[in-house]
Amino acid sequence: MNRIRQLFAQEMWSPYLAGALLGVVGLLAVGLSNHLLGASGGFENVAGILGKTVAPAAFGNMYFNFVMPAAITWNVILLVGILFGGALGALSSRTWRWRSMPDKQWIEAFGPSRAKRWGIAFFGGAVLQYAAGIAGGCTSGLAISGGMLLAPAAFLFIAGMFASGILTAWVIYRARY
Amino acid sequence: MSNLWIALVLGVVFGFLLNKAGLTKYHKIVNVFRLTDMAVLKFMMSGLAVAMIGLYAMRGLGWITFPVIPATYVAGNLVGGLVFGVGMALAGFCPGTCVAGAGEGRLDYLIPGLLGFLTGAAVWGLTYESVFPQISRLAAYGNVTLGQMWNVNPWLLITVFTVMAVLLFYLIDRGLIRKDRLSSTE
Repeated sequence: MNRIRQLFAQEMWSPYLAGALLGVVGLLAVGLSNHLLGASGGFENVAGILGKTVAPAAFGNMYFNFVMPAAITWNVILLVGILFGGALGALSSRTWRWRSMPDKQWIEAFGPSRAKRWGIAFFGGAVLQYAAGIAGGCTSGLAISGGMLLAPAAFLFIAGMFASGILTAWVIYRARY
Repeated sequence: MSNLWIALVLGVVFGFLLNKAGLTKYHKIVNVFRLTDMAVLKFMMSGLAVAMIGLYAMRGLGWITFPVIPATYVAGNLVGGLVFGVGMALAGFCPGTCVAGAGEGRLDYLIPGLLGFLTGAAVWGLTYESVFPQISRLAAYGNVTLGQMWNVNPWLLITVFTVMAVLLFYLIDRGLIRKDRLSSTE
């Protein structure tokens, strides 16, 4: 019991342990709900809900009615869970705090400007979500959920993601890559 | 209804694990692409191996049926992955880790990050009908698995994947990874 308490208080777990447990979560999603884990899908549903209140005509299209309906779906609730899970993880290791900038390595690469960080976080988020739309899912919804079913789509996505991720990191860091 | 409780509980565990693996930190995501910290790869590959074995075993025992397999349309899966990698290396998060990081009190994830995802989602939904039908037709194989596509036993593929993962983990932990030249890697 004490050892379990100690484990929960640790800030960092072995990525093997955390990853294996994530595999179990992926299994349970299929076993209990016949659903795939996926973070990006929920954003589509929420964007539809918000869009329909602002511009009902534009968001009354086929996509937000049928493909990814503007509604509180399983995926939206999953997102709410992830938010609480992140909070719980940080609280358990007493590392929860408000902060507006990422870790020191960001500052070494991009400087201390908060406007720059927030601009890139916004732009990056939009790019990630649009890309997930093209690919048919994100790191959780396609790479992990598709990969565990042995869908070729997942491995194509992972290959693309690492190829361009490595290139982008190299461009950002150049001499310090 | 009970289905949504399952989603909530699984989401909490998912977010908790992303936090404990450190994947809600900018440097952990970027450094997998700099090949100096392979935590993301270790996390993904061990998750995949466990889930593959479990899923195919449970189906073999007749306990579960598979959900709809994510569709393979080579050009879209690959191009989507290529664009996704740019966003991930720039921002230092992906959709799931951004939400978990927002829960940790990271305001750059909570405010511009989540607004970025919602914006991307809105733009995607509004352009879907002119983009998706075209791209999803290129080299489309439908909702297949590798086993079906290549007509091989899935357990052979699972064995190959697991052996490759273990070998890769062994090599990484033996020091086959680039030395970091930055002064602060956190």
